[in-house]
Amino acid sequence: MRTLPEVTKEQAKKFYETMCTIRCFEESVKKDFLNGEIPGFVHLYIGEEAIGTGICAALRDTDFIESTHRGHGHCIAKGADVNKMMAEIFGRKDGLCKGKGGSMHIADFSVGMLGANGVVGGGYNLATGAALASKMILKNDNVSVVFFGDGASNRGTFHEAANVAAAWKLPVIFVNEMNCWASTTPYRTTTAVENISDRALGYGMPRVIVDGQNVFEVYAAACEAVERARRGEGPTFIEAKTYRIEGHFVGDPEKYRKKEETMQIFHDTDPLTHFLDKLPAGVEFTQAELDEILAAARAKVAAAKEFAVSCEYPDESEYFKDVYVD
Amino acid sequence: MRKITFSDATREAMAEEMEKYPEVFVMGEDIARQGGIFGQFKGLPDEFPGRVIDTPISETFIVGGGVGAALGGARPVVDMHFADFIGVCMDEVFNQMAKARYMFGGQAKIPLVLRAPDGLAGGGAAQHSQSVESWFIHIPGIKVVAPSNPYDAKMVLKAAIECDDPVLYFENKVLYKESGEVPEKEDEVPYTIGKARVEREGKDVTIVSYSIGMKNARAAADLLAKDGISAEVVDLITLSPWDKECVLNSVKKTHRLCLVSECVKQGGALAEVAATVAEEGLEYLDAPILRYGAPFTPIPFAPTLEKLYRVYPEDLVKGIKGVL
Amino acid sequence: MATEILMPKLGLTMTEGTIDEWKKKVGDAVAKGEILFSVETDKLTNDVEAEADGVLLAITVPAGETVACKTVIGWLGAAGEAVPAGSSSAPAEAAPASPEGEGKGAAAAAAAPAAAPARAAGEYVLATPYAKKLAKEKGFDLAQIPATGYKGVVVAKDVESFVPAAAAAAAAPAAVKASPLAEKVAADLGIDLADVKAAHGRVLAEDLLRYIAETREKKTDDAAGEREEVKPMNGMRKAIAKNMLASVQTSPTVTFNLGIDMTEMKRYREQLKAKEIKVSYTDLLVKFVAKALTEFPLLNCSVEDNKIIYKHYVNMGVAVALDSGLLVPNIQDADKKSLTQISAEVKEMAKQAREGKLPPEKLKGGTFTITNLGMYGIESFTPIINQPEVAILGVNTMEDKVVVRNGEMCIRPIMNLSLTADHRVVDGSVAAEFLQRVKSLMENPALILA
Repeated sequence: MRTLPEVTKEQAKKFYETMCTIRCFEESVKKDFLNGEIPGFVHLYIGEEAIGTGICAALRDTDFIESTHRGHGHCIAKGADVNKMMAEIFGRKDGLCKGKGGSMHIADFSVGMLGANGVVGGGYNLATGAALASKMILKNDNVSVVFFGDGASNRGTFHEAANVAAAWKLPVIFVNEMNCWASTTPYRTTTAVENISDRALGYGMPRVIVDGQNVFEVYAAACEAVERARRGEGPTFIEAKTYRIEGHFVGDPEKYRKKEETMQIFHDTDPLTHFLDKLPAGVEFTQAELDEILAAARAKVAAAKEFAVSCEYPDESEYFKDVYVD
Repeated sequence: MRKITFSDATREAMAEEMEKYPEVFVMGEDIARQGGIFGQFKGLPDEFPGRVIDTPISETFIVGGGVGAALGGARPVVDMHFADFIGVCMDEVFNQMAKARYMFGGQAKIPLVLRAPDGLAGGGAAQHSQSVESWFIHIPGIKVVAPSNPYDAKMVLKAAIECDDPVLYFENKVLYKESGEVPEKEDEVPYTIGKARVEREGKDVTIVSYSIGMKNARAAADLLAKDGISAEVVDLITLSPWDKECVLNSVKKTHRLCLVSECVKQGGALAEVAATVAEEGLEYLDAPILRYGAPFTPIPFAPTLEKLYRVYPEDLVKGIKGVL
Repeated sequence: MATEILMPKLGLTMTEGTIDEWKKKVGDAVAKGEILFSVETDKLTNDVEAEADGVLLAITVPAGETVACKTVIGWLGAAGEAVPAGSSSAPAEAAPASPEGEGKGAAAAAAAPAAAPARAAGEYVLATPYAKKLAKEKGFDLAQIPATGYKGVVVAKDVESFVPAAAAAAAAPAAVKASPLAEKVAADLGIDLADVKAAHGRVLAEDLLRYIAETREKKTDDAAGEREEVKPMNGMRKAIAKNMLASVQTSPTVTFNLGIDMTEMKRYREQLKAKEIKVSYTDLLVKFVAKALTEFPLLNCSVEDNKIIYKHYVNMGVAVALDSGLLVPNIQDADKKSLTQISAEVKEMAKQAREGKLPPEKLKGGTFTITNLGMYGIESFTPIINQPEVAILGVNTMEDKVVVRNGEMCIRPIMNLSLTADHRVVDGSVAAEFLQRVKSLMENPALILA
């Protein structure tokens, strides 16, 4: 068992609030997608909330994250406005990206969320480059985080970024959400290593494996990695073991696995329902307190939905804007 | 006026911009210790320690890391060693670099320059001689420039570095060694990306080119002049977004258009110019549009074959005379 | 400057000629008035004189070949002068060069042409977009402009160097200077002004009259002696000819004949007469037929581009015969006018027509026509539709005839009506029902009020 950093009740409450917001947000998105109100396609973070929440809790607004196509949770955890997030997912002009990005290309630069990425494995080099700029050019102590799944770990881009990050001791943290599924393919059928983070050793990069369902454990690992990075000691690979509860995308018939098995895993590991069990010593919550937080999160998301649908779609005049700065 | 080489001109541009903006840095393969395989970075590492960075042979990192550095607030210049290798990091170019601004609703700025030495160098053969600019003019969100002389090399590179949009800067390997007049810094005229230049006025035919193709354009114009044919020579300089107005105005004057570039003719960068003139200026054309470029083959190695790959001024002269 | 030698137009009807013989060889000096070549037409062989001194520079149409009038057949100019190349009208390469012409012909083909190009009527003219734009701006007919460009394409410089006056003298009558009256008369009579010699600079009407007289004489001499006479049609005749031809080419027609028992109509007319209201049978027909037309809109429509235009009014045309031809003025809104109004209008129109004072608007906008030949004892005919109407009613003579009524023979005044209808819109049954309706109205005049 790792030694966990001291966490106050206030912090723990914030963790739970964030996880609840993500959960409610995703449930709402799922419902509205199935209702046909949301265009495109969406990928849900349900069951993996503790990872984004724990990692981002260790970051400042000026730190960067590179997210994935399953990025709503990262975005919320990094502090993006949920109203504007929802509006973006609905394709409205008041969305974070003026309705031009959508779920898979959501970003909020004001809180250091440099964007979800429609290309699996597209984020490593961006995060590493941002870390390079921070350390070697701009000489500040900003840290970059790249989230990625076990599927994305098989992209060659991982190799190039991990190598450079370790060689130049860049302040970048590789956060692997080991959710066992690359779309429809179980990781065992495409990947030989037991742990994705076994690869980090090959780059001379320290790694840590954590229970991705335990927000306190994730937070602890993140704090340590962030400190290392800020001290100029280079990157860390955090492998957070989790499980993808939802289909690859909303509407995925999931023919490739058994629903009961997934539900059993969810029942056993849901970071929300097991939150009380994971609380560090000295921090206590009643179920009623948690219920209240969940209800507040639900209300907040309902308001976000209401905001989103009250917004207009972008005006046609918006079409040619933002292709170039000048 | 002083004369310096194309290579030195780019080095000067880099030095001036790095001096001016501390957030400008450059990374690529073999640029710090070697000074670039064509000497284009010589001296810079000493002048700006820590800001000229030798990377591993990792093109996706070079470009993707450049995009990330730009997102993180720096103003990177990244070097592609040979333009032929851009294919390795194509996703970083067209899905990341080109899209970040638009898909994030204008939140991102990518002030990045991707330098790419291109063109036939004599025996470079299939994977070290290509001119690949046409791939990139198909991609909204990036700008593509290709200067043809030392002065432009300097001014266009400075403009590219100061531009808040990603710019692909194609620099021809043969041109590196060529000298040309470059004014002192205080007499420089800044270049505006997107502007073409009428390098030579004429009335019988407009020859449009860029980069090394301009050598053919100029030589053909000289040959034609001997026969009393007056060619207007337009240096496009920026291939995307290109200066439609300049070309159309010239065609309205000369009524004939001849396009020449070193790249493969099929789908070449100037095919867009031809198509646009046909679309928007057809009524001004008094002859079919002439296009000169490389045949639709990979670039051969043997000198006897490589010779056939090239375009010569005489080709243009013959074609132009045929439609006068 | 080299000038073109054209295949002459020797008389009104000549459209093409065959070179019978070149009397001079290429390179020969030629004096004005000397015989240059002879031409065979379908009627005779004519010698053609040189119009100027010079040297025969090129022969582009060799003996034995037939070409259209005004085609360039050769070039006359100063010794050693180059022929504008491609000078062949029939393009140089198409016409086999005569042995004499070969040397220069080759050079000519390599240089640039200037003569009117021989293009088939309607042939697509290869021209650059810019050349087309220039030609349009200058009002030139591309087909008249010789091509010197790549692949035989008309390029801008061809348009710029094109002198329409020269070309037009050969081809475009509009380019001949003539008084407006002469132009109009020439157009009406189909005379090419280029054929008419002007006594004082431009062609005047008197020149035209002289030309007509000359050609008539010539024609008379040529062919028919005193047994025939050729007279040009006058304007009205030409219009009638044109309109009638156009009508039969436009409308597939069927004519329907039906006899009307005029007993009641005669009585009706007598009754009116007794009240000092004098109306003709034509007036009565206008009134009754207009009534029937309001009930049969298909007989009162017109056809345009596969569309049927129904008229909610009846403008009833009444054919008026004149010495010089025929006019069809119409009574506007005849369906809404009283019999006395109609009668007065018919009389006035006939008078105006005979005096040539018919206001032009009276001749426009008719929707149906009545033409009466009854006064000539005609019993049946097939009138031709007055376009763009779709039917015309021919009125025949009224004659006492033996008919059977209630199983007994009796004598009744019978008048045949001959209805010609356009089968594009009026089917037989419709025409027949219409005619039946006219019959029933006329045999029961009281129905006009119904």
